Amino acid sequence: MRSARKLPTYLILIVLVLLWLLPVWTTFLVSFKSAQDFMSQKFYELPTRVSIVENFRTVMKTYRLHEHFLSSLLYAVSGAGIAIAVSSMAGYSIVRLKPPLFFLLFLLIYSGTLFPFQMYLIPVYRLYNTLGLYNTRIGLILIYAAICTPFALFVYRGFYTTIPKDVEDAAKIDGAGPVRTFFSIFVPQSLAPTAVVALFQMTWIWNDLLFGMVLSRTQNIRPIMVALATMSGYGGGNIPYMMTGVIFTSVPTILLFVLLQKYFIKGMAMSAVGH
Amino acid sequence: MKAAGERLVSYLFILPAFLLVVVLLLVPMFQNIYFSFFDWDGISRPVYSGIANYAKLLVDRDFLISIRNTVAWVGFTLVFPVLGGLLVAVFVDGVRFERFFKSIFFIPLTISFVATGIIWTYMFGKELGVLNNLFALLGLPLKPSWLTGVPLNTFSMLIAWTWQQLGTNMVMFLMGLGTIPKEPIEASIIDGATRFETFVHVKLPMLRPITTVVITMAMVNSFKAFDIIYVMTRGGPYHSSETLSVTMFRETFTMFKMGYGSAIAVFLSVVVIGMSALYIRQMAKKDLLYY
Repeated sequence: MRSARKLPTYLILIVLVLLWLLPVWTTFLVSFKSAQDFMSQKFYELPTRVSIVENFRTVMKTYRLHEHFLSSLLYAVSGAGIAIAVSSMAGYSIVRLKPPLFFLLFLLIYSGTLFPFQMYLIPVYRLYNTLGLYNTRIGLILIYAAICTPFALFVYRGFYTTIPKDVEDAAKIDGAGPVRTFFSIFVPQSLAPTAVVALFQMTWIWNDLLFGMVLSRTQNIRPIMVALATMSGYGGGNIPYMMTGVIFTSVPTILLFVLLQKYFIKGMAMSAVGH
Repeated sequence: MKAAGERLVSYLFILPAFLLVVVLLLVPMFQNIYFSFFDWDGISRPVYSGIANYAKLLVDRDFLISIRNTVAWVGFTLVFPVLGGLLVAVFVDGVRFERFFKSIFFIPLTISFVATGIIWTYMFGKELGVLNNLFALLGLPLKPSWLTGVPLNTFSMLIAWTWQQLGTNMVMFLMGLGTIPKEPIEASIIDGATRFETFVHVKLPMLRPITTVVITMAMVNSFKAFDIIYVMTRGGPYHSSETLSVTMFRETFTMFKMGYGSAIAVFLSVVVIGMSALYIRQMAKKDLLYY
């Protein structure tokens, strides 16, 4: 009974796996080819000369991808970092200190994630021009942090409700105030929510195209995905260089996923109820 | 005295998050609604134009094409990445080498839409692209213009989109399948139900909560699709493959019709919020039960 369904299932899965791997395999193959090989060979043929090092060199020299890489690393780390700092504090206050209207404040901040980016793109662009934040690193970091904050708050708030109260009560008797309680009891226990937020939000910032395009203009500020998208220049571009760029710019997110794998499912479960 | 200090601290802890979100997201949203009633090129003084921008939406041919494409994106997404994701999850669930199969569908999730778009631009290339050469290799007399033919270009991009998105839905459905208790399934098999019947009558109803979430997220995400289209066709040729996000971007940042762009953004948001309503309700219910 079971074995009867096995064969078709495996056949379908194997066909799908081949379809899914075809783009991955050809991407790697092309990144090893020179422009001449790419033009003259069939897509499945191995390169006559391994050119990936040269391709990498050009991607850096001509397209300066390593500089965009560093800019985006800064944006991802500081954007997500700020979101983590402000959201964990706010989450703690909302769960434990419960100031008047705390739930309304939570909903207000959380509502920021429900609307599409287009809804605030133009006014932010205008605001940035007025404040001199247009085409600055700090400007990009701030908008990334703001966009990451609602989801981060959602995660921290959910997590902090699961921390038992007894340790805190003991600390309170010892005279610890809310600030000390937060830093000595809540922060040390926050590894799991922080890993979830860092994984999802750093990946999102790294992969962002829209805000990078709208809020920056010059090469030294523009994030990595804008640079990568510009390489293609509407159907043209040198394909081996572009594929090398694809691989180079995908390394950090692939690494993050591999390192924080176990938090991915956790985060999916959480975002299932609110991103 | 102490209570007052704690009250102050409780607000100070919320303040930075509040300021970031209010100043950079919430206030701009209201400004966007306001701008949508103006004629504005981004430089000179905005001129009040009433509902002219909204009226224009109804007769703008590019906008109507854009809506048609966006509907195609949502419809296609429900069939391929979502239904396909469910089927793959069912196939993969409990099969030998489950981890291997899962990780294959997972690979595209770790790369960006921009990278996905570039990879598939190559796949779809007319002369040197992988697919057309594969067809030639198999002796098929086909050489489609994947990215310049209309309406083929929209479907080509949806293939790339499916490649990228199917894994997310598969992971969510697998999560749901993992929470289904074994007893009702065993009972149904003892009762003589086939695998298919068991799936339709036992598993599927139990997957309902996760299905709502997956469908809503998939609809909203496909409705907002931007990056892949921007990279693969820029919405072209002649605006033929634009979706609402791309049209809004073009009107705003290449045509500098900021007021009109704002109106498109409002339209986009109204639909997105409408689509999310079911899911917001479900989430709110869960939230109230949970805490």
